[in-house]
Amino acid sequence: MPEYKLLTKDFGADALQTLKGYEKVGGYQGLREAFKKFTPETLVAEVKTSNIRGRGGAGFPTGMKWSFLPKDVFPRYLCCNADESEPGCFKDRYLIDESPHQLIEGLLIASYALQVNTSFIYIRGEYHDQRLLLERAVEEARAGGYIGRNILGSGFDCDVIVHGGAGAYICGEETALIESLEGLRGQPRLKPPFPAIKGLYGQPTVVNNVETLCNLPHIVLRGGEWFKALGTEKSAGTRVFCCSGHINRPGNYEMQLGTPIRELLDVECGGIWQGHTLKAFQPGGGSMQVLLPQHLDLPLDMNAVQEAGSSLGAGAMIFMDETTCLVDVSMRLVDFYRHESCGKCVPCREGTYFESELMHRLESGHATRAELASLTDICSNMDGRCFCPLGDTATWFVMSAYKYFRDEFEAHCGAGRCPVRAQATALVA
Amino acid sequence: MTLQAETRSAIERARDRYPRARSAILPALWAVQHEQGLITPDAMTEIAGILQVTPSDVEAVSTFYSMYFQRPHGRHEVIVCINVSCALRGAEDIVDHLERSLACKSGETTADGEFTWSSTVECLGGCGGAPTMQVDHHFQENLTPERVDAVLGALRQSAPAGGVAGGSAGRRLGAEMPVPRTDDNVRSDPAAERGGGPATTGPAGPPTTPQAPKPRTRRPRKAPQ
Amino acid sequence: MTAVAETGTPPEQPDDGRVGISIDGRELRVPKGTLVLDAATEAGIHIPIYCAHPKMDPVAVCRMCLVNIEKFPKPQPACATVAGDGMVVRTDLPEVTKLREGMLEFLLLNHPLDCPVCDRGGECDLQDFTFRYGPGISRFPITEKVHFKKAIPLSENIELDQERCILCWRCVRYYEEITGEREIVLQQRGVDTLVATFDDRQLESKFQGNLPEVCPVGALTHRKYRFVSRPWDLQRTASICPECSYGCNINVDSRDFEVRRFASRDNPLVDDMWLCDRGRYSFDRWNSAERVRRPVVRSDDESRDVSVPEAITQAARRLREIADEYGAASIGVLGSSASTNEELFLLERIARQVIGTPHVDHQLDAFDDLSAAEHELGIVEIEDCDALVVLGADPEEQAPVLTLRLYKAEHKKGARVTRLAKDAAAADAVAAVTGASRIGLIADETNRAHATELAAALAAIGSVRRLTITRGTNGRGAKDLGMLPNFGPAYAALTERGKNGRQILEGLAAGELRALLMLGPNPALEAEADLLERAVRKAACVVAFDTRPGIVSRYATVLFPGHAIFEKAGSITNVEGRVQRIRAGLPPASSTPVETRVLTSIAGEMGAVGWGSGDPLAVNRLLRDEVPAYGRAGNGGRALFTAEAVA
Ligand SMILES: Cc1cc2nc3c(=O)[nH]c(=O)nc-3n(C[C@H](O)[C@H](O)[C@H](O)COP(=O)(O)O)c2cc1C
Ligand code: SF4
Ligand code: FES
Repeated sequence: MPEYKLLTKDFGADALQTLKGYEKVGGYQGLREAFKKFTPETLVAEVKTSNIRGRGGAGFPTGMKWSFLPKDVFPRYLCCNADESEPGCFKDRYLIDESPHQLIEGLLIASYALQVNTSFIYIRGEYHDQRLLLERAVEEARAGGYIGRNILGSGFDCDVIVHGGAGAYICGEETALIESLEGLRGQPRLKPPFPAIKGLYGQPTVVNNVETLCNLPHIVLRGGEWFKALGTEKSAGTRVFCCSGHINRPGNYEMQLGTPIRELLDVECGGIWQGHTLKAFQPGGGSMQVLLPQHLDLPLDMNAVQEAGSSLGAGAMIFMDETTCLVDVSMRLVDFYRHESCGKCVPCREGTYFESELMHRLESGHATRAELASLTDICSNMDGRCFCPLGDTATWFVMSAYKYFRDEFEAHCGAGRCPVRAQATALVA
Repeated sequence: MTLQAETRSAIERARDRYPRARSAILPALWAVQHEQGLITPDAMTEIAGILQVTPSDVEAVSTFYSMYFQRPHGRHEVIVCINVSCALRGAEDIVDHLERSLACKSGETTADGEFTWSSTVECLGGCGGAPTMQVDHHFQENLTPERVDAVLGALRQSAPAGGVAGGSAGRRLGAEMPVPRTDDNVRSDPAAERGGGPATTGPAGPPTTPQAPKPRTRRPRKAPQ
Repeated sequence: MTAVAETGTPPEQPDDGRVGISIDGRELRVPKGTLVLDAATEAGIHIPIYCAHPKMDPVAVCRMCLVNIEKFPKPQPACATVAGDGMVVRTDLPEVTKLREGMLEFLLLNHPLDCPVCDRGGECDLQDFTFRYGPGISRFPITEKVHFKKAIPLSENIELDQERCILCWRCVRYYEEITGEREIVLQQRGVDTLVATFDDRQLESKFQGNLPEVCPVGALTHRKYRFVSRPWDLQRTASICPECSYGCNINVDSRDFEVRRFASRDNPLVDDMWLCDRGRYSFDRWNSAERVRRPVVRSDDESRDVSVPEAITQAARRLREIADEYGAASIGVLGSSASTNEELFLLERIARQVIGTPHVDHQLDAFDDLSAAEHELGIVEIEDCDALVVLGADPEEQAPVLTLRLYKAEHKKGARVTRLAKDAAAADAVAAVTGASRIGLIADETNRAHATELAAALAAIGSVRRLTITRGTNGRGAKDLGMLPNFGPAYAALTERGKNGRQILEGLAAGELRALLMLGPNPALEAEADLLERAVRKAACVVAFDTRPGIVSRYATVLFPGHAIFEKAGSITNVEGRVQRIRAGLPPASSTPVETRVLTSIAGEMGAVGWGSGDPLAVNRLLRDEVPAYGRAGNGGRALFTAEAVA
């Protein structure tokens, strides 16, 4: 199966980034339909029917998340999570770049379903142009009567605020996002209470990923049942996969869930580059465990990949050819976590530092075997002990790489340099 | 008072937009950095006054986020991603090239005050066009040393001679608000995103606001050899 | 329910607001909402903590308290997990031991390990838990730690060592939750996170001294205790802060006959474990060597040191002579708001029952119309009010820790706190409490009359209770026990009104009164040094107790060395009427028996019978028998006087 274009079907259409262009391809029909066909309650039910699961990483069923909001507590808030900072992820940026109004439409549909009158789009600081694009689109949509009071004569009011972050991966975690939106340090909150009960400004709050929201106009227009039939039983619909690394055609590809990973790699990505072979790949972004060529036949299905010991996470696919040093890759990811640890809890703050110092010694071939052994122990002391998943996931890739490429890790010990890189250089020479 | 009236009113507008004033801290810090190029204690005190929080609240927040800086930076901000996807496709070569051609290390400013460049482990979200850098907030993708030279060379050309007092990128850039894509300058070629070419470099035109992680790591990033 | 069934506890329990929980096999029932950490403490099981603090909301950042709970996929923080019915908690599993070792290893990673030069050594949770739960070895192969600044003076009182900080957030939360001042905040992030003040400015809080106490390690320390002592060399005595009438509970830590520091001693009903800096750092005042050390008897031309029995005999004889010659009413008796209840009780009895004079007071100017109504509101009850009005700056200046209770009422209980001018108009006070049903009105005792007027106006809105900030450590006790010209003990109405303090001194100076019996030191009188000097010079006989050389000791005809507050036992009564014990924590500067003993002997020599030994505890028993409100208050309760008992 090649790409299945649902969210991306109109991408490339003339001036799609503008309201006019978006309306030309049928934009905002989903919102009109939502007002016409649904009450907030039936809309929530419809989203439940669709079986759509969150696209932000955790894969939590969206309809169920929505139904956790306590009845009759207002105001409520909706935050679109556009903080996309997971290593390897660039789909939300793509969705915004190509069609900002699709996101706004999805956001408004969700706001209507949840009876939210103020919604936020929290976009990472590095996506500066995307923020401006969104701000402009919001103004256009406001002028077009899609945002503001009595939207399209429905009696529903909703304001949309685009909020720019300033460089902190942790702000993608929903409670940290809320803290940051409140003007605090972006550190995760103690749960319970969960955001659905006490979120932004202490009010019931839903946080949804960009891609999750972008699906809503389509669910409204084609129906929950139709959507549910797409993809697999446990993973309905399509997902946009961010493909990068040693492949011929890096980029975003929207695939129907259930398609084998191999197809994504061979057909869409054009296979591994320069005639090389696949050594390993990481599905789901920097947080997730590494997988091997033998896993290529797995379907793009959240549960199937989970059973194989990893996760589709946020939909990033990083492919690595045989010249790749897994110690080097681990080191970079560990550095990332060290840099992005918010510092709130001890095991993550100190553990990522410990890990990173060790990985640098290992990568440069200076670590001893005993130090390598302590690395595993350090990871086990972190995993499951941290305040939020960031610290836990900071160990996942390293541990999986160590499991599959133990020889490579051990070969680094006392080698005085990176043996993999040395070998690759020798080959080229 | 250290802030220009325009900046103050931008902060006040942001404050009034949110359900709670405090939420406007990040936008306020952006406004200040765009005007002054960095975040000073005076400015933090002023923000605190407008938003009805304590200056210590503002400092706690501003130092948490890596894109606000407490030190003056060069006129242009260059950030190179060295996370996995970029590293797999040659980010280290770009880093080496910058180190050589700008004659300074990551986190430093060129002698002429033109560029502050740094490599970052924080994935920029440009993995599809790896290796990637951001220059004055705009993505520059599918980098080669030649392309880096072309991009920075063009910026050098466009910069007014003499520089500005303080040498901070923000001061000059703050005056020029970025041009969003419009009907006339939209790029509607998603194929380019996944193809080879340097597609997602944003609109032509003046660079916009600066950004750089401030030097918060006190140790050498590499382990002692 | 299933969990209960599986653990074999009886499935049906009446809903008594409690839940059954098992910790390391010990079964107990705790109130709903109890944290696992507190349940464990109740079961006698120690769980190490750093970030958790009994007065602050849990943040669960240090992860030191993680425990195993059945059915939870991951270890849970005991400090933030609410005990659920049927929960099975284990802290004694190997995995919990390993987890603690791991956490301590992380904490020590970037710690400077400078225990030998750290003031906290001996009472440091990091040191203590490392001994108890730590891994024993360090395997961190990298020599380079993250370095921060050390020994930063944050003010004249507090020093910060950022390297020793383990980022438990307690100081930050202290400023957020307890004082609301936000002087110390977190800066930077990740492994570079540190605590600091804005722009490295100095602390200005009046409550900084609590910081070293909330800090579990040696990051925040007292500059006045720098390199002074190890905790095990200190002698610790429970007492009450003598700086004001609020009655904060303290520990007096002394070494080599000197007070080295005051430490807080949590009484949730009074101080809630916080002290103000004025009180905390007043300890040095008690170390002055200048003291009255021996009894002295003076006649016109000579002054000689005498034995205690002789001084007692002389005192009794001279007072008796004056009374016989000029009448009992020619003698004035002055207590002090710095005296203990036991001393005041005896002195009042000597004055009214033994000597028979009406001229009794403890301050210069007595108040008219004292009433029980002005003392109704208790300190904890401040938290029950939904609106509070504070008149003027005096109450919080007099009793600074009151500010923290007001903040707690505001911040944690949602009360509306309004500070008005001392002489605020009734309309403003009414506006401040609109909609409230439980109103608290707080005023200084010098502003009682105005407060009474406002209370009447506020009563139209809701029920009003008042707290009046009495002055002097034991100003409240002096009033309760009748050291007043216009009221007897328990505010008993008097038929004859005596002279107040000022009138007594003026009477002596004018030769109208002949003799004075006084208990010093008395800060109120010393404030009018000139009048005091004229009075004691002119008086024919002055029988005085004092601690330090001064006007009184210079002219007293019979002088007894007084005991400073930390050299004697007894009780004092705080603003809200709480009767609290003090204990001897320092060796006395003089071998003269304590005041209660001397006073009892003088009374005996003057003919009183059945007063007992004069031992402070025995006097306390007498006092409780005689003044029923004190009998009911016992040790630590509030002495309350019903409206009927007040004239
Ligand atoms: C450390 C961390 C980073 C995260 N970053 C993102 C992110 O950048 N974007 C995102 O949508 N979700 C992110 N998440 C997941 C969010 O917490 C949350 O689950 C998600 O936004 C919910 O949206 P969804 O239900 O639509 O997936 C992150 C989670 C963690 C723990
Ligand atoms: S695991 Fe702890 S330190 Fe790491 S990001 Fe989460 S809360 Fe912050
Ligand atoms: S005491 Fe529970 S996490 Fe710190």
